[in-house]
Amino acid sequence: MANVNMVEQDAAEDIFFGQSVINWARWFLIGGGMVLVLWAADSIGQLVIGTIPVVAMMAINFYLHGRQLAGKPANPTLITLSSLLDMSVITLVVLFWPDPEQRGLASPFFVMYYPAVLAFSFVMRPKFSIAYTLVTLVAYGGACLLTSSYVGVLASAEGTFDAETLVARLVTLGAVGSLGTYYWRIQRDRRRAAATSSGTPAAAR
Amino acid sequence: MFSGLTSGEEERDNLAHGQMVIIAARWILVTVGLVLALWNPEQMGELQVSILLILGLAAANFFLHSRVLTGQPVSPQVVYLASAADIAVISLVLMVGGGFDTIPYVFYFPALLALSVAFPTRMTALFAGSTIAIYGLVSVATAGAGEASTVFTQTLMLAAVAVCGNVYWRVERDRRHRTVSREAAPPDAMEGSRTS
Repeated sequence: MANVNMVEQDAAEDIFFGQSVINWARWFLIGGGMVLVLWAADSIGQLVIGTIPVVAMMAINFYLHGRQLAGKPANPTLITLSSLLDMSVITLVVLFWPDPEQRGLASPFFVMYYPAVLAFSFVMRPKFSIAYTLVTLVAYGGACLLTSSYVGVLASAEGTFDAETLVARLVTLGAVGSLGTYYWRIQRDRRRAAATSSGTPAAAR
Repeated sequence: MFSGLTSGEEERDNLAHGQMVIIAARWILVTVGLVLALWNPEQMGELQVSILLILGLAAANFFLHSRVLTGQPVSPQVVYLASAADIAVISLVLMVGGGFDTIPYVFYFPALLALSVAFPTRMTALFAGSTIAIYGLVSVATAGAGEASTVFTQTLMLAAVAVCGNVYWRVERDRRHRTVSREAAPPDAMEGSRTS
């Protein structure tokens, strides 16, 4: 029973201390998204459609970052939901960006997956971060296929498909998630070793 | 274990633990890089340069990995030099392959992530800044005039990965210090991480 409580305490500390990384990552996504939207929009319609998800993410991050600063950090469910929302927003932008030439594989927004996946893998337990990484890979791969001339459901006349590029992006995205989880495990073992040598109760974990 | 470490010793300890992430990232770069280089090659010269660089990286990584596995210390200078070589190889393959927005760009992400969780903040800033500068210069030389926003966002996301990695590195360092000094986070706040 005591060990179960220690494991729960460890997971709670992961969330408590680690969520600042997710908040930082989301501020970068917001900054990058705002720049792309303001700079790349060719019409008022594109600007309006592009601004809505950026403002939504900003509102979410104000709330989550504010909670953290106030000493009331979000719980794992809220962190998972907000991270899934980040991933969904990026995927929707990749799928439905008003300019058909910048959808799917041609979308410049795909780079935003990297910090999102990395931050989640640093904070959550491996089974959750692996699942999140896989869902992201499926979402991006699916978006690229749907907008390609191969599948063609959402393909434009310009829709092309470069398997080599897609594989490189998916593998490096998966690598970022995996390496984040690997480092999470290394740090957990180091904390346990530190607790053991200092004789704190955490040694029992 | 940690309470008795000087800052220099702790830096080496952090580097030793983070080095495994760098080695793992480098094996991924080598494997995927080789597969992509051999995938539908178009120019003989480009393929020759890519294979030479990737196999050179593999040989260096085997040397470093074998030292770690046999418990032999690797000096920080060698680790820094190897990471600089990673960035240089990715940049060279990128330049040979056409520059802006070509496939090798995405290899910067695992490389920067690995070094950002292994190196102290000043070294991470140096490496990330250099990488961003190199990619920025290559992009300016090879991208079209209308690609400025994409270049900016791509470099911003490289910075994001390095910052997130190093923020987490600092978070974990502070947690270890707290564990040793038997300090815990405020109990009520920790409760919020579970239930609120």
